[in-house]
Amino acid sequence: MTRRLVGEPIRRNEDARLLTGRALFVDDVQVAGMLHVAFLRSQHAHARLKDIDLSAARRRPGVVAVYGAADLGDYWRPGPLLVPPPPIAGLVFNACTQVPLAKDKVRHVGEPIAMVVAESRYVAEDALEDIVVDVEPLPAVVDLEAALVSGAPLVHDHLASNVAAHVIQRKGDYERARARAHAVIARRFRYDRGASAAIENRAVAAQWDPRAEELTVWDTTQAPIPIRNGLARLFGLLESQVRVVAPFVGGGFGPKIMMFYPEEVLVPWAALKLGRAVKWTEDRQENFSATTQERGQLHDAEIAVAEDGRILGVRDVFLHDTGAYDPYGLTVPINSQCTLLGPYDIPNYYSEFTAIFTNKTIVTPVRGAGRQHGVFVIERLLDFAAREIGLDRVEIRRRNLLRPEQFPYNHEIIFQDSAPLVYDSGNYEPALDEALRIIDYDGFVRDEQPRLRAAGRHVGIGVVCYVEGTGIGPYEGARVTVEPSGRVRVATGVGTQGQGHFTSFAQIVAEVLGVDPEQVHVTTGDTREFHWGTGTFASRGAVVAGSACHAAALAVREKILELASRHLEAAREDLELAGGRVRVRGVPDSAVPLGELALEANPLRGAVRPGTEPGLEATAYFGPDRGSTANGVHAMLVEVDPETALVEIKRYVVVHDCGRVINPMLVDGQIHGGVAHGIGNAFYEQLVYDTDGQLLNASFMDYLLPTATDVPRIETAHRETPSPLNPVGAKGVGEAGAIPTGAAFAQAVEDALADHKVEITEIPLSPNRLFELLMQAEEGRT
Amino acid sequence: MIVQGTFTFAGPRATVWELLQNPDVLVKALPGAKRLVRAGEDRYEGLMKVGVGPVTAADFALTVSLRDKVPPERYTMEVDSKGTLGFTRGGARVELEALADRVTLMRYTAELQVGGKIASVGQRLLDQVAKLMTRQALEALNQELRARLAERGSP
Repeated sequence: MTRRLVGEPIRRNEDARLLTGRALFVDDVQVAGMLHVAFLRSQHAHARLKDIDLSAARRRPGVVAVYGAADLGDYWRPGPLLVPPPPIAGLVFNACTQVPLAKDKVRHVGEPIAMVVAESRYVAEDALEDIVVDVEPLPAVVDLEAALVSGAPLVHDHLASNVAAHVIQRKGDYERARARAHAVIARRFRYDRGASAAIENRAVAAQWDPRAEELTVWDTTQAPIPIRNGLARLFGLLESQVRVVAPFVGGGFGPKIMMFYPEEVLVPWAALKLGRAVKWTEDRQENFSATTQERGQLHDAEIAVAEDGRILGVRDVFLHDTGAYDPYGLTVPINSQCTLLGPYDIPNYYSEFTAIFTNKTIVTPVRGAGRQHGVFVIERLLDFAAREIGLDRVEIRRRNLLRPEQFPYNHEIIFQDSAPLVYDSGNYEPALDEALRIIDYDGFVRDEQPRLRAAGRHVGIGVVCYVEGTGIGPYEGARVTVEPSGRVRVATGVGTQGQGHFTSFAQIVAEVLGVDPEQVHVTTGDTREFHWGTGTFASRGAVVAGSACHAAALAVREKILELASRHLEAAREDLELAGGRVRVRGVPDSAVPLGELALEANPLRGAVRPGTEPGLEATAYFGPDRGSTANGVHAMLVEVDPETALVEIKRYVVVHDCGRVINPMLVDGQIHGGVAHGIGNAFYEQLVYDTDGQLLNASFMDYLLPTATDVPRIETAHRETPSPLNPVGAKGVGEAGAIPTGAAFAQAVEDALADHKVEITEIPLSPNRLFELLMQAEEGRT
Repeated sequence: MIVQGTFTFAGPRATVWELLQNPDVLVKALPGAKRLVRAGEDRYEGLMKVGVGPVTAADFALTVSLRDKVPPERYTMEVDSKGTLGFTRGGARVELEALADRVTLMRYTAELQVGGKIASVGQRLLDQVAKLMTRQALEALNQELRARLAERGSP
């Protein structure tokens, strides 16, 4: 019997290395004679650069080189547009991608102006103080609405306005739906910026080996292959001459995607120019202004409902803050636009957004990537609608959920991957019921809450639903090799930032080949090992690269069976793979180890059959037609102290359906991390900019991350509705935990403060902000 | 950031005015000031070492221009300082009112833009530090004023 491994909570293959400090991170890279880099960054959000004097810095002992924009020559060019906008009729998009070093203007605090390369980071940092920059400060574009007023200062002078993009997507006819609505509920919703706050900041190290004629770049990127291809193009090298390694990375969450950050381009450039190894590691202060951030959005939304609570239509018009540049296209606002539809049957939808350039750090996907905004808007609208028409908030959701027989369900609008937003599969109502059962919704609302309220306590419950578009294309690949030792090597192109790929991919391959998962050695994120693919983003690693691993393993299995059939003189149908061997069913003594077959497949002498390939190795690719849609329900119990506005999360339940679960322990881990991110987003983390575009809380003293005491024990339950779009049946899970948290938190807190009649239409909250809302509600009542 | 307040000097308005225009006096009064020299008509340049809370003190190059002078009643200042840890830019309005023979009331309002590390890391303490530094400077000036008046042998 072949051992089932997919679906088992296999312990992580990578942990031994991580826990004993033997895992390589970019900052661990040491090369003899390595130089170190520090960047001079803009202190101004918006200013004209009049003059830069680098001469004193160049004279400082220990400084090897100092570069400004003028020193880059032809290498000074704006970065690539990473994601072209999807084909939506009438779409307006102004591409303005970031530049390696600011030339005429700086457009956000933290934008690099000059680069110092020195014998040590200390000297490099000191030399920054020798640089004299003469700037003419300009008024900053900070507020989204003010940015659109005629006469507003312009982030990009060559554009007529600060509009980065304008997109309208429609389904049905919202106005007609509205005309026959029993109730129409309209609100303004605000969702502000946060940081990704990965434990490891960005880092890049590069070395040019003149004898091998090879440039090696160690990079904390989530997408080493696109980075390699782009660097090769930029430097005029063969792609095979550039090796990009994304070793162990301490958290990606989106901002480490293939950004072609200035530092990512300049460090390899300096290594080539100077002929010496060069390294730069971002410090936390830099990370707050130079690494891309989450998104600020302002929604004016309304929902039209029938008397029975059925949604007739939704209209949403929103502004999206894209920051100073828009290299990542429209992924984030389109995610917001599409995810608003959630797990619901919404027949009429009008959604319009304007993306706006501001003098703030660039916005690109951060875990959830705009999906939480859509979820927040629809879930809040449903809460308000339920209240308005006197329906239970769970009931209004239940009445609008898509039914299993409606799948595949076409929402008739375009998703971020340029494909129509079609949900592949789903079974939503049982997930809702399971969450209600686990948190005992009925019991809480019927008995517990009235009892506690009578005792003067403010307790509330929140239950929200969501979907997550995951596992988008274009494709990934993998190579699987059985070595003569019997161990199996797997190489794939995606990067790993803690997801457990070394285990989940090993499980998939091990199950197909009948070996122990510990015998499967996985390499990710090294372009020398595998150089076709895109990267880790959009919760796609397990789905797309996992499916490629599966396909490659199946191809190797075919080769094994072919060879073993000859070796054992048995029919293929009688063979089975188990315990690292091929054996004849029912004949225990007739077996051959995989390693022996691998040796046999690579003979040193004799003749091989025409048309055969050496070795037990295969490469395969997988590209889904479109993304698969995961779903789930979050439920939480909170207690609020109205005096201090502190919120304690008493229970947190996640019922999640990511299709076929490869490793429930890894899925739990993803959900736990996501929920922690979501709790931070809901109640702690907010990047506060002043009216001049200065970030006022750029340290962990002032920017609060939730700590262990703020994150409750998370109760999870897995449901499995397989995706028909890939052979594993998997859907992504990387962002699920973070997506509906704000909506659940708002609903629960509002419920806890029902006697105060507080209405929450914004995230992030904080004790301060919640206290203000309480005061406002009180004033409103008196 | 807005810093405003009043301060009462123990001396005649004309003497207070005089002190406020004297860089040699100001350099001693301003906390952290290392140098302040006249760089032209109503224009001063200097160097100050300032830290804010967790931001270790570092040098800031300082330029102050005086405008709209109506001696000994009022003037405005344009302040521009920059260093590796950040910058401040803005203006201040200073008014002197003779409340009695030896009592001069100063009203001041400064509106400053603050940027760089002192804003992003020191923000929480910035207001307090600015107020404290202003207070210290004015107290020091007042002492200098008293000393001068004593020297002149005024009773």
